[in-house]
Amino acid sequence: MSQTAWWASESLWRKSAIWVTGVSFIFLIYLTFDTLPYIKAGGTNVPGFSVINKRIDYQYNEAKHRYLPVIGQDEPLFGKMLTEAEAEALVSKGKLTTQAKNCMECHTLLGNGAYYAPDLTKAWLDPAWGSKETREADMVAFLMNPTDKLHNSIGRRMPNLGITEEEAKATVAFLKWMSAINTMGFPHNFKPLDQSDAPAAVPAATAPAAAAQP
Amino acid sequence: MIVEPVALANFFTVFFSAAMVILTGATYALLFAYSRLRQRPRLMPLAYLAYFGLSVSVYTLAQAANLFNDTFWTFIVGLMLLGYFVAPHGVWHLCVATHDQESVDGHKPHDEGNPSFVRS
Amino acid sequence: MSALGVFSTANLNGGQKLGLKYLIVSLALFGAQILFGLLAGLQFLMPDFLFGVVDFSVNRTLHVNALVVWLLYGFIGGVYFMLEDEAKHPVVGLGLGNLIFWVLTAAVVVVVLVYLLVQVGPGEMSTIWFINEGREYIEAPRWADIGIVVSMLVFFFNVVATFSKGRYTGIAGVLVLDLMALAGLYLAGMTYTPNISMDQFWWWWVIHLWVEATWEVLVGCIMAYMLIETMGVRRKIVETWLYIEVALMFGSGILGLGHHYFWIGTPEYWLTIGGFFSALEPVPLVAMVVHALFDSGVHRMKNSNHPALGWTISQAAGNFFGAGVFGFMHTLPQINLYTHGTQWSASHGHLAFFGAYSTAVIGFFYLAAQKSRGNVWMSGNLPGNGWKWKWGMALLWIGMIGMTMALLIAGYEQSQIERAIEGSTWMGYFAAQGHPWFTQAMNWRQISGYGFLLGYVLLVWDLLTIGKGETRPAEVINSEAH
Repeated sequence: MSQTAWWASESLWRKSAIWVTGVSFIFLIYLTFDTLPYIKAGGTNVPGFSVINKRIDYQYNEAKHRYLPVIGQDEPLFGKMLTEAEAEALVSKGKLTTQAKNCMECHTLLGNGAYYAPDLTKAWLDPAWGSKETREADMVAFLMNPTDKLHNSIGRRMPNLGITEEEAKATVAFLKWMSAINTMGFPHNFKPLDQSDAPAAVPAATAPAAAAQP
Repeated sequence: MIVEPVALANFFTVFFSAAMVILTGATYALLFAYSRLRQRPRLMPLAYLAYFGLSVSVYTLAQAANLFNDTFWTFIVGLMLLGYFVAPHGVWHLCVATHDQESVDGHKPHDEGNPSFVRS
Repeated sequence: MSALGVFSTANLNGGQKLGLKYLIVSLALFGAQILFGLLAGLQFLMPDFLFGVVDFSVNRTLHVNALVVWLLYGFIGGVYFMLEDEAKHPVVGLGLGNLIFWVLTAAVVVVVLVYLLVQVGPGEMSTIWFINEGREYIEAPRWADIGIVVSMLVFFFNVVATFSKGRYTGIAGVLVLDLMALAGLYLAGMTYTPNISMDQFWWWWVIHLWVEATWEVLVGCIMAYMLIETMGVRRKIVETWLYIEVALMFGSGILGLGHHYFWIGTPEYWLTIGGFFSALEPVPLVAMVVHALFDSGVHRMKNSNHPALGWTISQAAGNFFGAGVFGFMHTLPQINLYTHGTQWSASHGHLAFFGAYSTAVIGFFYLAAQKSRGNVWMSGNLPGNGWKWKWGMALLWIGMIGMTMALLIAGYEQSQIERAIEGSTWMGYFAAQGHPWFTQAMNWRQISGYGFLLGYVLLVWDLLTIGKGETRPAEVINSEAH
């Protein structure tokens, strides 16, 4: 009976399987430790929660070949400057609300989730809100009572999920914070809402209709 | 390392050539294995024709997805060409060697057309 | 042992009796997955259908959770089914295993009822604990998470203890290590964090490392047993190939996690790692093509269970197309920037899950059906030429390919119009959703779904009747497996 070649032997492949798995896993652990400082709040790619006190924009960066969030001047959410701890509590309440209402099973967040409703990564910056002056109030009103608002021409609507005003405001804070994450250029080509301080280019009469669009 | 997003005009090319990479890769592997298994060397040129198709697909994909604009992605292209080429060879040898005992022990439920591993 | 062709649990050993229970629930949950998938699909066509009653999010939750749970039940059932044969020892802790089966199944029922009837809760931790965690695929509330981990630990104990007291084979070694990883990884998805990037980072640990690593290997173990059992392939060869497969799957799969870390706030080097492994992941699949052909050439398809073999062959093809072709088409970051989060993912997901896992579990259903009727004949010349399993399989596959192709077209249109042209604004999203390519694709997806349902009905009918009144014993395959 001939001997199986060493490179085809069961024992070699058993050892290979163990070593390949082990080495891959050690690499993964190492990379995980390396990645965590990038993605912790206040890390390299993910802003601290108090970023919701600032204006957030999204622009193409020539040097990096991708769209990146741009943090601008003070622009407190709901007109109130928050400490880091207060901001974290608010964003956390909003994140908890997005989980409790199972947003991810219609929407995508950072592109992950279901595909029945639009992506929320840049919800804060979406031009559908019309003007930056009315955006906050419109978002809260929409979240609290979405069903009867104008959505789109294809008949898909968001159901009433019993979101309270407190939850709605917190959700808006979460969405604003999420829009400041450096997502390596996703989404590409996005044209954010005009946030310049010049008077809005949109004629005042059409603003409410546009704001009710999402 | 630069990731240069695909131009809109190249979307179809990217999807199609990527699918063709895998499909020609499988065709190459299938023809290669079948030719050896049934000892039909005349099929071997067809296998390499499939591999040629794979090379064209990889090249088309690399062009459309802007992979040649960057050293890392060019290296990946080379690695794909090499990997898809050697994988069927390597696995064939492994098949022959691991099934060695089966033929030696006289376990031949099949009659005609013994696979070539008997010779090894 | 009971008479041939009569369904009786007396034909089964203890582990198989327990395994059969899991497989029956698995088959039922497969039906639930199809039902809620069809309802969700209908809502794309008729947005007012069940609006405010059973919303899309509820149907989608049940659709994807049923998927995870029916496959897990199928795997657990498969493992219990093969355990005593493999270990040559009765299952240790069978009573506990039975108890856990009922507890776990009751928990699944409660979770489903809460999803359906309570649906959502206030934005507080109590919702996470008792209603819904709101994280795709692993929505199960925290209390159920703990229950799942405990159940997995009991299952793990049963498997390890049985192998330890009996025969510790190569398959056993791989299985035990894999189950340990399976239970351990679930813990990575059990914490709450306000930070969405951190959340998704660990979430992918569970989803990716389960689906693209540990599940693949688990199925590899079950298939290895099936190859020995139904085709009489020699154990030494099967086990060597199991090791080769583990090396290839874990080697490309573990760091393949990188392709989920392109756009969630993770550092740039993940584009490199993801790109590298994405380009190389199909290499093992192509390699497997060679091995499959070689094997079939050697064994000439002589086997004792034709339906199981049919499903096994379609597993190889399905895995290749679903994971290989459909995965590679949109995985490079240069194109994934546009396809990420569109129906592309749904298209790939449908074919890959069905191709790699559903097919394997269905194959195992047939093995269980054969054994529970006293190991009856299931080779060629079945009554009616086996039309039920053949048509069931054909319809399931035609339905799945139809859905996949429709979603592919929808995803292609979405990536062009919503992403590239409109730049991913909400207006762009709805422009793409209202485009004729998209709406027609959704119609075809729904029609294909009905075909799939028909295939499922035939499958259930066949599983309930195959081998009934059969007087021939199973074909004896020249095997030295035992």
